[in-house]
Amino acid sequence: MILLDTRELDHPVPLEMAVNAFKKLSGDEIVHMIHRREPIPLFEIIVKNGGRYLSVMEREDLWHIYFTRSSAVILEHNHV
Amino acid sequence: MYNGLSLDQAPPISAVMRFFLTVPLFGILLSLTVFFHPEAVLTPAHPLSLAVIHMMVLGVITMAMLGALFQMQSVLGGRPIPAASGNALIIHVFLTVGILSLSGAFAFGGAAMFIVAAVFLGSSILYTANLILPLLFGGVTHDTLRGMQLALISLSVTAIFGIVMASSYANSTFSTMHDAIRTSHYSLGLIGWIGTLIIAVAFQVIEMFYVTIPYSLWCKRNVFRVIAASLFLKVVWLFFAFPFVWIFDLTLGALFTGFIITTLKRLQLRKRRVSDVSIWFWYTGIALLYIAIMAYGAYEWGHYKPLLDISLIAFILFALSIILGMIGKIVPFLVWFHLNSNGIMDAPIMSNIIPQSRAKTLFSLFLLTSFSLLGGIFLLELFVVGAIAAAAMFALLFFNLINALKVYRFSLTHGLRFEQI
Repeated sequence: MILLDTRELDHPVPLEMAVNAFKKLSGDEIVHMIHRREPIPLFEIIVKNGGRYLSVMEREDLWHIYFTRSSAVILEHNHV
Repeated sequence: MYNGLSLDQAPPISAVMRFFLTVPLFGILLSLTVFFHPEAVLTPAHPLSLAVIHMMVLGVITMAMLGALFQMQSVLGGRPIPAASGNALIIHVFLTVGILSLSGAFAFGGAAMFIVAAVFLGSSILYTANLILPLLFGGVTHDTLRGMQLALISLSVTAIFGIVMASSYANSTFSTMHDAIRTSHYSLGLIGWIGTLIIAVAFQVIEMFYVTIPYSLWCKRNVFRVIAASLFLKVVWLFFAFPFVWIFDLTLGALFTGFIITTLKRLQLRKRRVSDVSIWFWYTGIALLYIAIMAYGAYEWGHYKPLLDISLIAFILFALSIILGMIGKIVPFLVWFHLNSNGIMDAPIMSNIIPQSRAKTLFSLFLLTSFSLLGGIFLLELFVVGAIAAAAMFALLFFNLINALKVYRFSLTHGLRFEQI
């Protein structure tokens, strides 16, 4: 699991970091992104490029986003 | 918990860019009008003054705001606009023809042109409201989407008043209600449409772009209710010629002052003080809004006519400042987003799509434009300098937008695709 904590970063850095991490994924690797809001545009980029994601709201200003390029790996949220 | 937002939420890049690309063209056209006829433009109710005002609020401000609406609708998680490309094309063409007709009607006269303007502008605006408003109702929880509801309703009513006024101009007959209609028209247009949408956008982007503390929930919930109630009552007061109509202006002035204070506080307390040209545009816009409110208040008190000019010009520059700042953020995002979602793996980073140096030059030209136009109220030569600066500013904006599209097209054709890795 690759952790990407972008809560303190100005837009658009979190999006660019997440997409870069997505590009570098291989096999069953998963990125766990922690962000202060739901990055909706990221999801379209992931899905259009054959990836999958899971978005979980812990609080209104705390989101956990998991994404992978693997079709086999199960995405689930474990409370951290 | 969510998993699986529908695909194709975002509209095609062309749907948004066609609006943005038209903004500088109207900007240059109105700058040229100001350059050649500064005195006429500064004369209240002069045909050229009305032509320039409508080119500005419709051709520049509304054009940019409609483009942004197409994009924001998807990013905020609302229901996507159906057939975004086709609908954007229809709205854009009708709006453009309508603005040119209206400006031409004011500048050159002619009843037929007022009718053409009313048909094209009315249908483009009401079509937009009919298209987007239903998507904003039903299960809407986002405060920005609530602000967009009020803004679009205000724009629609502004257009209806505009159609009535256009028919009056076409027939050269003005009803006893003409003053009430005119005041309602510009109050709803400036405050209900432009002011409301900017506040709604601020609620979203100030927190998101600059990592600030959020606006208070009370503020987000109630600000649009106060604006809606004040504008509705003001229109009723105007039509029934009730006294003390200034109470609603005072309420709105207090509300916008509150918006200035809360926004400044958030920008001052932001966690990471990254230098960004867009934030300079926000600071300048807020300062211009403050000048507009103070000048309007002073005019209501003393009825010194230049104060009203200062108020109107400062308010329009406030909206333009926010629009220029936001276009500088939205366009690089659009290029980057559409390249990445098309599987282009070596898409340029956003900060390279409109280089910082050009963004700073645009800001400098905006500052020069603002100082010159406001000073031009007292010294006509400065107003001409303002027109030159504005023309240069809009030309640079056009250059930035065209270059961003060139980057997009080049990367889309020559970029390394995901499946090639």
